[in-house]
Amino acid sequence: MQTKKHSAFRGGGAINPSGAYWIWYILPAIIIYIMFMAYPMIDSVRLSLYKGTTGARTFVGFDNYIKLFSDEVISKRFWNAFGNTWVFFAYHMLLQNMLGLLFAVILTNRTMKGRRFYQTIIFIPCTIAVMVTGYLFKLLLNPQFGGYALRDMGLGFLAKPWLGDKSTALNVVSMVSVWQWVGIPTMMFVAGLQSISEDLLEASDIEGCNSWQTFWFIKFPLILPIVGMISILTFVSNFNAFDIIYAMETPNGAPDYSTDLIGSLFYRYGVAGEHPIGIPQPGVGAAISTSIFFMLLIGVLPTLRATQGKE
Amino acid sequence: MKKLTALLLVTMLAISSMALVAQGETVSLTMGSWRSDDAEMVQTLLDKYQELSGVAIKFEPTQSSQYNATLRLQLDNGTGPDLFYSRSYAVGQELFDAGFAMDCTDIPGVKENFPASALDAWQTPEGKIFAVPFAAVSQVVYYNKAMFAENNLEVPQTFEEFLAVCEALKENGIEPLSNGIADDWDILECVYLGMLPNYVGGAENRALYESGEKKMNDEVFVKSLEDFAALAKYLPMGFESIGNSDGPAMMGNERSAMFIDGSWTCGVWDKDYPDLEWGTFAIPAPEGNQPGICFHPDMGITGNNATKYPQEVKDFLTWLASPEGAQITSTYLPLGFFPMIDAPITFEDENVTEILALNEGKVMDARFVWAKLLDLYVPMVEQLNAIARGETTPQAAADVFAAEQAKIIAK
Repeated sequence: MQTKKHSAFRGGGAINPSGAYWIWYILPAIIIYIMFMAYPMIDSVRLSLYKGTTGARTFVGFDNYIKLFSDEVISKRFWNAFGNTWVFFAYHMLLQNMLGLLFAVILTNRTMKGRRFYQTIIFIPCTIAVMVTGYLFKLLLNPQFGGYALRDMGLGFLAKPWLGDKSTALNVVSMVSVWQWVGIPTMMFVAGLQSISEDLLEASDIEGCNSWQTFWFIKFPLILPIVGMISILTFVSNFNAFDIIYAMETPNGAPDYSTDLIGSLFYRYGVAGEHPIGIPQPGVGAAISTSIFFMLLIGVLPTLRATQGKE
Repeated sequence: MKKLTALLLVTMLAISSMALVAQGETVSLTMGSWRSDDAEMVQTLLDKYQELSGVAIKFEPTQSSQYNATLRLQLDNGTGPDLFYSRSYAVGQELFDAGFAMDCTDIPGVKENFPASALDAWQTPEGKIFAVPFAAVSQVVYYNKAMFAENNLEVPQTFEEFLAVCEALKENGIEPLSNGIADDWDILECVYLGMLPNYVGGAENRALYESGEKKMNDEVFVKSLEDFAALAKYLPMGFESIGNSDGPAMMGNERSAMFIDGSWTCGVWDKDYPDLEWGTFAIPAPEGNQPGICFHPDMGITGNNATKYPQEVKDFLTWLASPEGAQITSTYLPLGFFPMIDAPITFEDENVTEILALNEGKVMDARFVWAKLLDLYVPMVEQLNAIARGETTPQAAADVFAAEQAKIIAK
């Protein structure tokens, strides 16, 4: 015991596999993780049991949760945002990830020409700030500004208040977000597909597989861990989504809350307060985020078990 | 490890000594604001103050829609500005109640130099004043003079004439208005609450609704909503996704003839659209009603209780509350903001003088919901949007108003 401790401090145990030297390697990461991730998360659970803002905070037990699920207005907004978030998620899961996979398969095809060019084009939107793409699309989709250009092109029927119509707003915002982020799954699938051994593909060729069979029986099973990872990333990032709504609509999820996501709802209740009153209810906000945390956990754990760790 | 500790110590020492040096120099304060558009003007004003007092103040504005959240976060974390703009009524008072905003009751001049109507906006029910009144704004109609002349139109005197002007423009293929409903605030704050003093009257009448003596689905409100519905027919194509910043762009590029907005926008035209011939008129009252105008106490300035320089902050607020300070302030105040001090103030800009002159002979009041009925804000926006989209009737909307009013009063 004495020697181990000694060697760990001196760093002399670095090549001794039984020493506890590894702790020094992960310590910085653990400290940062605890300070900036774990502690705030646990503190937000604590906060959800309080009422009022700094200076006037009182313990109220589960009142915020009761309010969240029983108050007429708040619960209506919460379930509305919850539903919208699923729609938003479905767009990314189905459209964005399918497109990503399709692009990746095309890009990694041996006969594909100009791969780098297309890869760059697909990836560029991911490097632009959401506020910028959101604003650009807001202008493009504006019936007065983008509308003039459309009418000049003889496409006047397309000049509609896409972002102001309750029936189209969420779909349009989702598609803009899909357009922007499709590069991420594409790149990950490309990397996955490229790591598949050439021997396997050659073997399937010799055995007479057509390209669909090669994809479905060889490539897809081999990139399944990536599919799982991307699903989880999509799931988590969509339940945190807020910026695109903020950029293209308002934090209210205009029009008439039809684009309100969990992220914007949380921002409104927990951080900003509704305009112009601007008095936030951090307790309610924390209750929203805690509820969502557990919902995410329930969604993520089975996905992780189903797709990861099969070695 | 030892080296790292030593390095850290040296760095900390260096930083603290820098702070010491800084303390020896002139005091430098920061000021938070939601008026990022006015950064240049206000900084000029603050530089002027530095010449007079030797205290430097740096203007650090945030975008308006993020101001409340950002300021709150800064104050919570002890990094708030020394001075900051205070919203009027309950929103500003909230920061006072939470212990962030300075008690300005004893700032010399505050009680003496401002009219009760101005102080009212920054006063707690116990009579504590939590900010020095800084500026008021009004809601007006901007119009394209050349377009009016081309179409032989006169500035409307009554609401009925206003609608006729809209109709005439529309018949000639011109979008009459460039207001939209996408931003969820200007349709209420600028358009409907701008119209309302023409129907409700002044603060005494507002008080009757605040106490519940009058119901918000009475004929006064139904009439105001019917007129709003009539006006909403002239909102531009695609108004559902037109935001407040699209309005000036549309009118400035001659794609609409009028824009109903706050006086704070009047600085935009000459700067961004120098070729535009523009003028203003008050939102007209319907035939037979006494004309009113929304003159809204908008900006107060208060100190941060946690400031390192309480004396300098108080000195600035005292200066702000003095007639000399107000005259200098108004010279540098961004266009379209009017000081509320009880002293004759002159403006150099003729457009500003013109807008202020619209108040003459009219009943003036703050925005209807601000003082006591702020919880009505969101339901009102929802109803106005629904009326504009044609999803509800004025009577049904008024009934929703009345139900919400009853809820607020019952609290």
